[in-house]
Amino acid sequence: MTEALPLAVKDLSFRYRDRQETAIRNISFDVRAGEILLIAGASGCGKTTLIRCLNGLAPRSYKGEINGRVAVFGKDIQSWKLSQISQKIGTALQDPERQILGTKVVNEVAFGLENLNIPREEIFQRVDEALTFLKIFHLRERETFSLSGGEKQKLALAGILAMRPSILLLDEPLASLDPASAQDALDTARFLADQGITILMVEHRVEDVLRIKPERVMLMDSGEIRYLGDAAGLFNVASFREVKLPANVIVERAKAEAPPEEINLLPGATSADSNDEAIVKFENVAFGYESNVEVLHGLNLEIKRGDVIAVLGPNGAGKTTFVKHAIGLLKPKTGRVLVNGRDTKEISVAQIASVLGYVFQSPSHMLFAPTVREELAFGPTNLRHSDERIEMEVKEALRIVNLSDKENDPPLALSFGQQKRVSIAAILAMQSKILVMDEPTAGQDYQNYMNFMDSILQLPSFEAILFITHDVDLAVIYANRVLIVNDGRLVADGRPQDVLRDFDRLKANRLEATSLLRLNLERLGETGKFMRAEALAHL
Amino acid sequence: MLIPWRYRKRERSFIQSFDPRAWLIFYVCFLFSTLTFWDVRYLIPFLAFAVFTLISSRIQWREIRRSFLFIVGFVFFFSIMTFLTGRGGVEVYAEEHLIRRFEASFSILGWTPALDITVERIFFALSQFTRVASMAIMTVLIPFSLNPALYGVTFKGLGLNDKFAYAMDLTMRFIPTFARDFQLTVDAQRARGYELEHFSGGLIEQVRKMGPIFVPVVIHAIIGSEDIIDAMDLRAFGIGPRTWIDVLERKTRDQILIWVGVILLVGSLALGFTGYGMFWAPTAL
Repeated sequence: MTEALPLAVKDLSFRYRDRQETAIRNISFDVRAGEILLIAGASGCGKTTLIRCLNGLAPRSYKGEINGRVAVFGKDIQSWKLSQISQKIGTALQDPERQILGTKVVNEVAFGLENLNIPREEIFQRVDEALTFLKIFHLRERETFSLSGGEKQKLALAGILAMRPSILLLDEPLASLDPASAQDALDTARFLADQGITILMVEHRVEDVLRIKPERVMLMDSGEIRYLGDAAGLFNVASFREVKLPANVIVERAKAEAPPEEINLLPGATSADSNDEAIVKFENVAFGYESNVEVLHGLNLEIKRGDVIAVLGPNGAGKTTFVKHAIGLLKPKTGRVLVNGRDTKEISVAQIASVLGYVFQSPSHMLFAPTVREELAFGPTNLRHSDERIEMEVKEALRIVNLSDKENDPPLALSFGQQKRVSIAAILAMQSKILVMDEPTAGQDYQNYMNFMDSILQLPSFEAILFITHDVDLAVIYANRVLIVNDGRLVADGRPQDVLRDFDRLKANRLEATSLLRLNLERLGETGKFMRAEALAHL
Repeated sequence: MLIPWRYRKRERSFIQSFDPRAWLIFYVCFLFSTLTFWDVRYLIPFLAFAVFTLISSRIQWREIRRSFLFIVGFVFFFSIMTFLTGRGGVEVYAEEHLIRRFEASFSILGWTPALDITVERIFFALSQFTRVASMAIMTVLIPFSLNPALYGVTFKGLGLNDKFAYAMDLTMRFIPTFARDFQLTVDAQRARGYELEHFSGGLIEQVRKMGPIFVPVVIHAIIGSEDIIDAMDLRAFGIGPRTWIDVLERKTRDQILIWVGVILLVGSLALGFTGYGMFWAPTAL
């Protein structure tokens, strides 16, 4: 009976050619038609390798030794060409930007069909079907680079669906999406499964995926399956520290454990009161990349000592553009930005860097040194810190991001998650007064990012922290001030409990109320402030 | 994700009124024809045509300003340097007619710096500027005028096989993508206190100091290329002949343009072989 299933995997193992240890071992499972299988696990647990073995990239593009059997509708795909596999198994890569090749939407969706040498008329028919199916037909003639993050995700999916696969592999489809777009993507996945397509979804945002009721969940650990079963069973097996579970589940589980230590936010900024002079001040700032298109409209705000600011807002809202003004990488077209009372138009970015450290979204744009230690020393050296001080700063930064054992490794040889932590440590080592992070948790597993956020926020060196995020829970747990930016305007600015309680406003800005936010709002009268679920368990 | 050049459809644009294959053929003929001549009298019509194409392209000045000023500035600087040093033209003229000599009032180890202004140097610089500016203007217009969605089918239509045609398509789009990644890396390193403006030391030291820029840019380009290859493999690219959904139509005006280009090239080569269009400087001066 198993042979007739869309996908059956038996004793699958894979070892990359240049590694000693196997990346995955003894993986066996099968998936039925119309089923969603959620695959969760920490970074480096083998999820991506499993996906590569299923879609054929391993061992065809990623060389190595493969053992075991992957059968699609009973047929072993070991001897199949990639083109054969791609007609049965479609893969959406983690970042849709990495997958989109066409300059126009219609060309992008048609790409696979063109490669299969299908007649033009049939291609157009199948392209239109896929676009209509995903409700994005209105985008047909648009240029791909002008689409929003959510639209790009659907477009990548349309390009795969046009090839009519029976199985879809979705590798972290929510990673770069704002909450509303993520919800759209999940609804689309559920819809596709209900139409009979088998879906395997690798995702860190377990709680979000559970909303669409995946039939089964697989938890991977160190290259092996630790759990395979229904969602309820996952709650018993997985630690709430390694997998992000719904808040009420965490509350129940955490009751049996000791209460968490309270986080002492920014101990170095003790006198955080409103009379303090602003470290950064935006005065009526407007900006546009092109002379006739304005993307920031009259921003006014101050960053003061003690601020832990979460910047929320949809994809393409202008959040990164806003933050780049604070570091002086962009200069306002009108208005001005003051850092320590000095106009950013009159001081260099290097001068600002000693006050404001900025962690870019993508680590691959900054890593260059032969060792992690040299990478971390680069910033402080540019700021002319002493050798002894640099040594100390590097060690401390490595400890915070949990990479002390990688000090002499080449940063570019590390995993994406580790590279991201190196990029954060590189800025931590500069000991700037304000830390600015653009999507610090992207590509990180839950346990890692919660640990380093805990550590960073308790550092005595910072006077203020600002982070851009799509994760509303990060704002709930860590921020004492929330900004919502949409369409280049500051839509809201205030305490988390004031800004995030307005669900209509959240919806209008493509944000979603999480279980932790709802639970905190229910108990706000009792607590007076937002708390993490483990802390709520002990009230 | 590869980003395209800043193309958009422009009404009543001369260059966009042609099939892209016809324009590329004409462009190649124009380049080689220009290269045939050193006589500024022959080169001025080429520059005039290039300027006409630029003006009639309907590209807004603000769209093209940066590229245009960079290229024309570079060509101008290059021509001035040739003029000042007197090097570069010695292969096309044998003797020089001095107009005026400027000599420094000091000597360095017995050598006195001097600037000779000669008829040949002036006209060589003029010819060089006219020649390179004509080609540069015609080249800079292409990415702003050719629809990126048609790159692949255009190269396919010029006789390349499917794989090369698509590779050319990707290559054309790689250039602006590379420029964007370069700028992102510069920004990321400046945010770490790195100052490109304050470089010191010898050439090797300066190259070494560019490492924080070049290494991430190159690595990012390699990673990006691997992503593109994966994305193409996963959608069956290169398994055999492929369909191109875009179809180009060659009209009469395109045929005429191709013939004009071919005649221009053949005529230029014929003139060149018979000794016309070689370097010229007025004897009256």
